[in-house]
Amino acid sequence: MSTAISSGMLHPAPDTRRLLIKWIVALLVPVIVFTLWSGESIINAVISPATASGDVPSDPISLIEAAVFTAAFYVAVLLLAGYLVAADSGRRGTIELWLDVLIFALVPLIFVILFGLIIGLALCAVVWPAYFYGRSLVRKARHYEPPPPLESLKVMNDEQRAALMSRASAGGLWFGIAFAAVSLIVDLVYFFTGTLPVILLIWAIVRTLILPVAGYFLGRLAGVIALRRALPQSENGNGGNGVGRGRDRLSRRQQLEVLSTTRAREEAQDLVPNDLPLRSSGAQRFYLILLLAFVLFYPVLDPFLFGSGTDGRLDGFGNAGYYVILALGLNIVVGFAGLLDLGYVAFFAIGSYAWGMVGSTQFGLLTGIHVNPQLWPWFFWPMLLGAALIAAFFGVLLGAPTLRLRGDYLAIVTLGFGEIVPVIFLELDKYTNGINGIVGVYSPALPGVDWTSSTPYYYLILALIAFVIFANIRLRDSRLGRAWIAIREDEVAAASSGVNLVNTKLFAFAAGAFFSGIAGAFHTAKLGSVSPDSFGFGDSVIYLAMVVIGGIGSIPGVIVGALAVYAVNEFILAQLDSLAAVPGSVLFTIHNGITHVIPGFTFGNIRNLVFGIILVVIMIFRPEGLIPSARRRRELHHAEEEGLGGDALDVAPGAPGFETEVRVE
Amino acid sequence: MSVEQVNGHAGIPMLDLSKVTKHFGGLAAVQDVDLQVWPQEIVSIIGPNGAGKTTVFNLITAIYRPSAGDVRLGGHTLVGLSPDQIVRRGIARTFQNIRLFNNMTVLENVLVGQHTQLKATVLGSLFHTPAVVREEEEARKRAIELLSFFGSELVTRQEEYVINLSYADKRRVEIARALASNPKLLLLDEPTAGMNEAETLEAVKYVRRLRDELGLTILLIEHKLAVTMGISDRISVLDYGRKIAEGLPEEVRRDEKVIAAYLGKASTGGEKAPVDEKAEE
Repeated sequence: MSTAISSGMLHPAPDTRRLLIKWIVALLVPVIVFTLWSGESIINAVISPATASGDVPSDPISLIEAAVFTAAFYVAVLLLAGYLVAADSGRRGTIELWLDVLIFALVPLIFVILFGLIIGLALCAVVWPAYFYGRSLVRKARHYEPPPPLESLKVMNDEQRAALMSRASAGGLWFGIAFAAVSLIVDLVYFFTGTLPVILLIWAIVRTLILPVAGYFLGRLAGVIALRRALPQSENGNGGNGVGRGRDRLSRRQQLEVLSTTRAREEAQDLVPNDLPLRSSGAQRFYLILLLAFVLFYPVLDPFLFGSGTDGRLDGFGNAGYYVILALGLNIVVGFAGLLDLGYVAFFAIGSYAWGMVGSTQFGLLTGIHVNPQLWPWFFWPMLLGAALIAAFFGVLLGAPTLRLRGDYLAIVTLGFGEIVPVIFLELDKYTNGINGIVGVYSPALPGVDWTSSTPYYYLILALIAFVIFANIRLRDSRLGRAWIAIREDEVAAASSGVNLVNTKLFAFAAGAFFSGIAGAFHTAKLGSVSPDSFGFGDSVIYLAMVVIGGIGSIPGVIVGALAVYAVNEFILAQLDSLAAVPGSVLFTIHNGITHVIPGFTFGNIRNLVFGIILVVIMIFRPEGLIPSARRRRELHHAEEEGLGGDALDVAPGAPGFETEVRVE
Repeated sequence: MSVEQVNGHAGIPMLDLSKVTKHFGGLAAVQDVDLQVWPQEIVSIIGPNGAGKTTVFNLITAIYRPSAGDVRLGGHTLVGLSPDQIVRRGIARTFQNIRLFNNMTVLENVLVGQHTQLKATVLGSLFHTPAVVREEEEARKRAIELLSFFGSELVTRQEEYVINLSYADKRRVEIARALASNPKLLLLDEPTAGMNEAETLEAVKYVRRLRDELGLTILLIEHKLAVTMGISDRISVLDYGRKIAEGLPEEVRRDEKVIAAYLGKASTGGEKAPVDEKAEE
């Protein structure tokens, strides 16, 4: 097998050519848009800082960070190109794909460019459901049947594997060529109209040479990655790469065959060849890495992407961050263990006051110990754990007498706690300074870090979120996590299988409270103060809404849910108000129109109304949440997914679906 | 003198119910029931619908607490324990209306069954300590082993969500889950309910194997008289919450009180009817 670029690659066979066109066009358009928007400006700023605009950072470290991200982005795109061409089974049409890419990649990009990150994504949240709905109508009208998931899945022999590898390299190579060509043309136009300095032209030429070569090799790498996800060659199942999980005797293919359609589809999503490679787990890894890189490098990238105002935006994201942690914590109680908690704000308050009372002059008032204001902020770090433990302790304390209660009764009791705890903080003013709250709470301390800007808080909350996600995943997949899910499914059966109900539920409460303690300490440190009126029943409801909207029990779901709820609650409506203040804009006219009928109207005022409407709409049309866990989606849509109609009970014995819906209760 | 003493069992029974009574409000669901089960016996409890059979199971497994009387396992009382403690003492059960964890896979259901056998701590799970990783690996292997008791089909379908299984398969998974806790005594509540003749025969075979190969003691509730007669060492008959007869299968089938109890229920057939005896609800 020659590693040189074979002539076959420069003149690909017709089906490969079709695949190449399909994917290269699909990828090229969004990438070019992104490049024109900012990818180019980042690289240009690095190479020729003099030509960069004023907002953009010019210190070498930021520039290098930005350049690293951009390089990573293009590497990922080249890898993706190779992977997609290799993994595609070819069964889904090209137009369908291009439409998908248009709606899910291009449109969001354009919205974000025009309206900013949050409003842009909010618009997507309107457009995407509309597209889904429209598409399902069209499909129904044309009696569209998705092809059975396992049809194209076969064990590939050596020749087919080699063909896959060469497709992958071809994909990377040709994408590199196409992208290089388009970029070169654009740069030449700039050059000949005099706006491009020579050094950047030299860079353009260098780039045109590098991209195809990089594309070829990255394509090969993508091919290797794709092959890892193909069915193992030996019919005896074991020793397959990437799919090794100790199967006895039967091949993976045979195992997949006996699974139900839903389950098979879930599993087939991982494998190559794949009908929808954009959605396959292989591609999802790329997206995840890109997303992570984007989030990590965001503070440096923001000026390139959105101009001035970085610090304000970072401040907002820092706040959104603790919502995410709260959602993840509540997800353990409500999502994993299935306990309805209507008073989660109580633990958040406890965590907040923990640092508030310790990390400020209040500590001196309480204990008489005089703390050195220079050194005391260092205590934030141990206190992060301390606040979490204190909150967890109260979680156990409050939970122990009440967790023997069932469902609705437990919910009412938690509601009570949610009311009692903030009132306690309010009334114990000897200790907590009552209604005035505690001010002058210290920020954390870290050598060389300036905590007066938003950036350190942004990274801190990212680190905390990473830890919380890690902990959640580990817990979910452990003996304890299984016990929680068993309790949620059927308490009596769980107890009869040996799960101690009270202790396991207590653990859920304690774990949820633990994470809210972390969020609380962070919140107080960032705000620099804490007061009882920040904690009310409305907040508990919001946290619950984050979990439910995002997808109960699903970790990515509640993260998205938290961000979405935060965006709507804190940001979008306030933003609409400031946009409406601009005379002559559409919003201005609308706003005036409404205030004639309802004086005192502002978009901010109707916050709860909008929020309520969104909740109702989501519960009707997508009760499993924005990104549901696989279990939940099946729970709620089981009959449809198995191809059963509404009258599942009318299915004749022997036909598929007969057994599955007859529940013996 | 009880049958057991006549037959010469030595020592104390494994399971001993003495004068067990359960009132719900004014109704006595179970009244003064005595029952002994000796190691490695297969004992059946039969009786018309509403006789209180499942209530007896629920009293043994602490889902209900007896209003009067005592339940002992190996001489130690079980009254006052919680259901999970009962499991730890070595009693496992299945349910009449199959109670599996529907949105978990076959494997996961059996893994939950092993809850009492695993020692993983929260910190260990969090940091994937070698001990915990090893334990999870062993647990998976054991779960597959348990599933293979029923042949290879469930092993192949181990990643399937149980809600998609056939009825007979669901019953098997429930038994595998019960076996996962390493019980000494297995309570099977109508293990052949809803099965056709072929499936019932198969079920009978594996119930016997549970005793013969795994050394379990089995107490089962069964509605199909032919099944009970074929498989039990001894049978106890309940009617209206009281034990009305007890003894070897041949004795019980000829007992007048038993015949009367069954014929007296308008909707049940007599004992002559073969396998398909399940009464209408």
